[in-house]
Amino acid sequence: MNKNKLEIFGVSEEQLRSLVAEGLRSGGTWCDLFFEDTVSSELVLRDGEVNSGGSHEDFGCGIRVLSGEKTGYAYAETTQWGELLRAARAAAAISDSNAGGKFPAAASPVSGPCRKSFYTIEKDWRDTPAAEGVPVLRKLDSAIRSRDPRVIKVIGMLSSQTSEILMYNSLGELTCDTRPLASIAASVIFMQDGRTENKTVSRSFRMGAEMLTDSIIEELADAAVEGLDERFEARRPKGGEMPVVMAAGASGILLHEAMGHAFEADFNRKGQSIFAGKIGKRVARQGINILDDATIPGNRGSLNYDDEGVPGQKTYMVRDGILESYLHDRISASYFGVPPTGNGRRESFRYNPIPRMRCTYMESGTDGSLQDIIGSVRKGIFVKEFSNGQVKIGEGDFTFYVKAGWTIENGRLDMPVKDINIIGNGPEALADITAVAADLRVDDGTWTCGKEQSVPVSCGIPSVLVGKLTVGGE
Amino acid sequence: MLSDSEKKLTRKCLDMALEAGAQKARVTLSKSAMDLVATLDGKVDKVTSCLDRNVEICIFTGGRFGSFSTNRLEEGALRKFISGAVQTVKMLAPDPCRDLPSPGRQVKTAVKGDELGLYDPAYEQVASGHRRDVALSACTWPSEGKGWKLISEEGEYSDNLEYCYCLDSGGLEALHCETCFSYGVEVTIEDSRHRKYSGYWWDSCVRKADLDAAAIGRRALENAVAQIGARKIPGGKRTLVLDSEIAYKAVSPILGALNGYNLQQSNSFLRDSLGKQVFPEGMTLLDCPHRPGENGSRLFDSEGVATRERPIIEKGVVKEYFLNTYMANKLGMEPTQEEATRPLLLPYCGAGQAPSDRDEILKLCGDGILVTDFNGGNSNPATGDFSYGIEGFEFRDGHIVRPVSGMLITGNFLTLWQGLIAAGNDSRPCKSKLVPTLAFRDVDFSGE
Repeated sequence: MNKNKLEIFGVSEEQLRSLVAEGLRSGGTWCDLFFEDTVSSELVLRDGEVNSGGSHEDFGCGIRVLSGEKTGYAYAETTQWGELLRAARAAAAISDSNAGGKFPAAASPVSGPCRKSFYTIEKDWRDTPAAEGVPVLRKLDSAIRSRDPRVIKVIGMLSSQTSEILMYNSLGELTCDTRPLASIAASVIFMQDGRTENKTVSRSFRMGAEMLTDSIIEELADAAVEGLDERFEARRPKGGEMPVVMAAGASGILLHEAMGHAFEADFNRKGQSIFAGKIGKRVARQGINILDDATIPGNRGSLNYDDEGVPGQKTYMVRDGILESYLHDRISASYFGVPPTGNGRRESFRYNPIPRMRCTYMESGTDGSLQDIIGSVRKGIFVKEFSNGQVKIGEGDFTFYVKAGWTIENGRLDMPVKDINIIGNGPEALADITAVAADLRVDDGTWTCGKEQSVPVSCGIPSVLVGKLTVGGE
Repeated sequence: MLSDSEKKLTRKCLDMALEAGAQKARVTLSKSAMDLVATLDGKVDKVTSCLDRNVEICIFTGGRFGSFSTNRLEEGALRKFISGAVQTVKMLAPDPCRDLPSPGRQVKTAVKGDELGLYDPAYEQVASGHRRDVALSACTWPSEGKGWKLISEEGEYSDNLEYCYCLDSGGLEALHCETCFSYGVEVTIEDSRHRKYSGYWWDSCVRKADLDAAAIGRRALENAVAQIGARKIPGGKRTLVLDSEIAYKAVSPILGALNGYNLQQSNSFLRDSLGKQVFPEGMTLLDCPHRPGENGSRLFDSEGVATRERPIIEKGVVKEYFLNTYMANKLGMEPTQEEATRPLLLPYCGAGQAPSDRDEILKLCGDGILVTDFNGGNSNPATGDFSYGIEGFEFRDGHIVRPVSGMLITGNFLTLWQGLIAAGNDSRPCKSKLVPTLAFRDVDFSGE
């Protein structure tokens, strides 16, 4: 396998060693190489026909030199030896910055032989002609239109990519991976009595083209029209502070924004996170477990290895309510004196790796069902569909945007709501999760995290009750 | 500099596409170089050096269309890639609306690439030592004040040079080049109760000599310190003043709603608005793509269509949809250009002379909430409904009285703009959208 990857990039192991030596020539304490060849393609259906498409190739090698915790980074869009040397020397410039310091994690190899892959490729996207995707999108279009006469427009999108990755570092660790990633999505416009509404649905997996089944089409079509009556009836609620019940699945955005980013160890290494210095402290009630997991088969956030060659793994951030671990890349792991957790990720060879989430979720609780939780709320809001979120790391203030939900009155769903933002404070919200149902669901939507660089992630959560958040409204 | 061999390579790609069976084609070569020095707590933390080259090839054949790109620019690899691209396009459904722009619409004046004065020759002489000096000279680390201490300070200096060279089979040849020097600082401070606050400031410009990095760190620190003690206050209908740093958020959804792709899909709250009085008379939004020496000015769009100075909204009347060749054909309308290049919102005041800046607008409004930053949120392009997290300051009698955070504004863009009180004249040229401080009446705030 490694030999094949070396051939893809046209380099030998001897050259890898020479390149690392060049990177370290000025006194750097660590050097790693990240070779990438990503081939991606997309098809777009508009007005009933698949009438645009394309493909893209991105090829190159990123070279990182560390001097203590300081980073030098450069890349070449070719593997011609002269260009690779130029990049290595540019990255080595960090060693001239009098940064100094040690990089103890370099002393402990972390990668090992390839284990069972967390993603399967029965049918490689690169061997799948565009013509095979055309009927899939047509079928999706028909399935959505057949479900409701209010559908007036459908844009269907099928995007796929396969990345060949080769990593090598100054410990002599050579790691390879072949990463598939694909999404199928529909953006639908509905009209009723002259009013329009929109909805976007998607599914995304680290799988080959075998993911294009009839069942995924039916699932997407169902999701596209689900809750349509409510969407046209929805109004803005009265805003203010209130209890918020979050449905299982996509509500995992709460964990991503409110906690996950603040657990990323670069923010904690720099003292910026609101959770800095809180390892070993209680941050949630007993029984609550929050993880970041790279090992769910086919999941959008899964990784056999992170982008520093560290094996993909499951990391408990909060166990039984206690903050157990931050999410580490090699730099932060070295700083905190712990093993890296496989969270060193990057958008492409053009970027240096930084701590990032993978699939972030909370384990199921023991507080019954979603209906039990809704029934316990006298006046509040129930939220189930989301589009985006954000957090301010230092302050801990996070938000997420609700595309669909309901008001709750006396334990019953009362009025549909949509297009409202919800804001809260991470540590306060985490401590204020007062009920967790036994219905964990990981959402398979096309989630992308945009912290400095875009990387694919996913999230999940059981139905939960947060005692108090601020809801936007009139 | 873009070399002759790179220009020849671009031409070669065009020829390869036509030889492979494309009836028409457009090829765009993008090339950029960027160097960055980041600092953490007064020391160099990261140096980055980037060189990028990429070709994008748009293929039109048999009424079919596809868009392809690659950074593998060896001739053999390119030939194979382009041949495969043409075969892929042939598998797609025909769409007669796809076409190159007519030659009469295409730019003729982008020959040297620096016609708008966006290239600074001083870029070629920037040394790595200079980058470090600039980055380090702007640091405020270490510092502390009454009731607060600095937790971290991250600075980032970068300079870059970009080329865009565009050819098509209809005779288009256009070149754009642009230098940019920028510096940004984010500081995190902690108050005596161990609460953290962050502050950010940045600047960028075309010319090296115009970048005043030294003032930026101090400004970021001032922004963080001003937030100490921020908290929620009771919500309700209040006057909203949007600081010019973030006022573009009130304009971007309008530009999106005027875009042909959204109009054609009926995914726009401004469908059927062309020529109609949708906004208040005091609102005039121009597109000014030819402002010399300002990053973002452009002579042509991605189709090679010449940009024009023109009104987008004039005295509240929608004057322009953004229609590229494809969308114009789909909608049966005359093409314009694909998007606004350099939108500029003109000053306005419903009562007397337009205020020039934020302070004058606060005085004009008396009481309300000044929003200086957003925290998440979104809008519905089909309806114009929006909801955003905000932070900023409560003001009374024209004076700031306390910082606020953890609040939300919620509403609809059409009704928001109907409540326009004033627009200042204080947009910064470093921003891509020239939107000044804005004031709106009766906006729904949610808080305590």
